[in-house]
Amino acid sequence: MWLKLAGSVCVVAAGASIGFKLAMRLCERPRQIGQVISCLAALKSYINYVTMPLPEALKKCTGGMRGPVADFFHRTAQILEERGWVTPGEAIEEVLASSSGELALGRHEHEILCVLGANLGLVNREEQYKYIGMVEGQLRMIEQEAARLRDQNMKMYRYLGICGSLIIVILLI
Amino acid sequence: MGLDVLFKIAGVGILISVFHIALKQAGKEDMAQICAIAGFAMVLLWVVQILGRLFNTMQDVFKLF
Repeated sequence: MWLKLAGSVCVVAAGASIGFKLAMRLCERPRQIGQVISCLAALKSYINYVTMPLPEALKKCTGGMRGPVADFFHRTAQILEERGWVTPGEAIEEVLASSSGELALGRHEHEILCVLGANLGLVNREEQYKYIGMVEGQLRMIEQEAARLRDQNMKMYRYLGICGSLIIVILLI
Repeated sequence: MGLDVLFKIAGVGILISVFHIALKQAGKEDMAQICAIAGFAMVLLWVVQILGRLFNTMQDVFKLF
């Protein structure tokens, strides 16, 4: 009896934690996209007005921000500093591949960041300024869509996690 | 057998209705429908087993066939 009860509690706890984790990831996505947008706005200014070298601009654009997005920009800057032969696109791809678990960004954002990396540092300042502005616009649209998805699906994941585990408990007992 | 199965069916019914409402509110009407059908099929399996047992008992009691 006690063994069954303990097992049931474990199953419900596991199901609820999976549901809450998925809901948390959904909640985190628009926030991280917003952080990427603000970092890109700062990066745009550093490239166009300060004409700062790219690794330094990537480090400074986070502006005291903490979390996975700041880590992404810092690691990209670190790779560019340490390995001079690596292009910004390759560095961004490498960091995105290694930190896909921490970043809650979706496939579209990954693609946009990879394309941004491919164009970063290859053209003149004005073109980079225009291009980062365009990327910002795209990310804003994705952010709105992500916020809509968050409002729609966050509760659903929580309910599904708890109720799904309860159904498994009923079936197993 | 006891009342276990009745409570199980009631529990599954309540949880499936919560599933249905949550999925419908999230705009996934098709998934909600599939979920309700899956719940119904699951309960139907239990009920069919119990009905089978009932028919066997009736056969034994009335010496049919």
